[in-house]
Amino acid sequence: MTQTTEDDRLLIEAAQADPARFLELYERYVNRIYTFVSRRTENRAAAEDITSQVFERALGAVGRFEWRGLPVSVWLFRIASNALADHWRERSRNADEPAPDVPDPREIEDIDRRIALYQEVERLPDVQRQVILMRFVEEKSIREVAAALNRSEGAVKQLQLRALETLRKSMGGHG
Amino acid sequence: MAERPLTDRLDETVDAIVRREDATGALRDLELAPFARVAADLRHYPRPAFKTRLRAQLERRTTMTAISTTTAVREGFTTVTPYIRVGDAGLVDFLAQVFDAQETFSGRGSGGGMHREVRIGDSMVMIGEGGTAAGGVMPIRPVTFHVFVKDVDATFERAIAAGATSLGEPADRHYGERSGFVSDPLGNHWYIATALGQQSLASALRTVTPVLRLKGAAEHLEFLKRALGAVEEMRAAEPSGALRYGRIRVGDAAIELGEGDPMPGSFMLYVADPDAMYQRAVAAGATSIMPLSDQPYGRVGGVQDAVGNQWFFSRPTPAMS
Repeated sequence: MTQTTEDDRLLIEAAQADPARFLELYERYVNRIYTFVSRRTENRAAAEDITSQVFERALGAVGRFEWRGLPVSVWLFRIASNALADHWRERSRNADEPAPDVPDPREIEDIDRRIALYQEVERLPDVQRQVILMRFVEEKSIREVAAALNRSEGAVKQLQLRALETLRKSMGGHG
Repeated sequence: MAERPLTDRLDETVDAIVRREDATGALRDLELAPFARVAADLRHYPRPAFKTRLRAQLERRTTMTAISTTTAVREGFTTVTPYIRVGDAGLVDFLAQVFDAQETFSGRGSGGGMHREVRIGDSMVMIGEGGTAAGGVMPIRPVTFHVFVKDVDATFERAIAAGATSLGEPADRHYGERSGFVSDPLGNHWYIATALGQQSLASALRTVTPVLRLKGAAEHLEFLKRALGAVEEMRAAEPSGALRYGRIRVGDAAIELGEGDPMPGSFMLYVADPDAMYQRAVAAGATSIMPLSDQPYGRVGGVQDAVGNQWFFSRPTPAMS
């Protein structure tokens, strides 16, 4: 049994004995599930909604979870696949919409790379991080960001470039 | 044509990515491509508040799950048991005549009165008669219940014959039940109902469900979510915004709420961690009326909320379980 699998087993047992310990599972896997889901949804709101459903469903089912030696991530990815399928069925009104596969190792690698990138954003200098958040999360234009930060548009474009440059370098130059 | 600065080209690419437009052209620009790839990966960068909000949401649910830990609940009970405090005897007989209630326990309470427990269908109700039960903190006052029976008309007639006053003859209601309303001789209200079909609330309820009638029910529902980790199951509002019908679940027990002349209740909650629940309720704005203490029947503490409902949190001793 790998260390990760053993940790998973302990986390599951802890959550089954005390539901409050489910939050440890949540902390461990929320980034992966969100990132997996966000690659298959049309916008951030849908990704957040489905991620919420995944953990709500998992919390409801953790008491019945039977340990079979597979990583907990596989169980959560399956719940996510089903939630995604429900989402797309609802949108397309197509009852035959298949659930997407759980991610293969290559996709897991890509998911983990994105999570690492998100963590690097946290480490950016304040003003650069603010620019990234305003541009990508709040979807503000350069003009709006400039007004909010009381800087010129040119200065904000420079900050944006520097932030992406820092992120690119921190990701080993192949971001 | 002189090439435009990288900052401008990058900004256009970011604009396209955020607007979900085609930004693949950037990949043919060797200088721009590495930045464009990072920018594309940032398109779904999660909102910082999202994970915190979801964590808080799950935390509330885990508390709810924790309080329903079956080992904490006495055999045959659910998480929440309504406690009716009455001045005189007679309620148990009334409930036996009308609802075939069976007394499962009676004994002298700590306040000198009688503590009785009755089963109606699959539900338990506690009754405190006389004395100064619960250290004198629990007031004598009528409460309201929604009770499902096989034949509402026959039960309604039995209730009237047993001394109840009609508050409304049995009739088919738009919410999927035939129901009649009575006030028992001690003033408690009983919404007696028989399910009419799939739309009935019966499938989500046990035989007896307490109903909290109060002013500002919509706001109070939010308070109960915070204070008890209650989960909102249903909410129907009047055009004015007032709560016409709401239902929450605390552990494995439902409580119904609605705007109306206040009839607050008292409740015993069997929980795994009474200290945590007591503190949570106080932190949410409830007032302590019974500090936590170890009693022969278990550890218990009680609070009163702003509209007068009383919530006693108890972890029964193994002998009681």
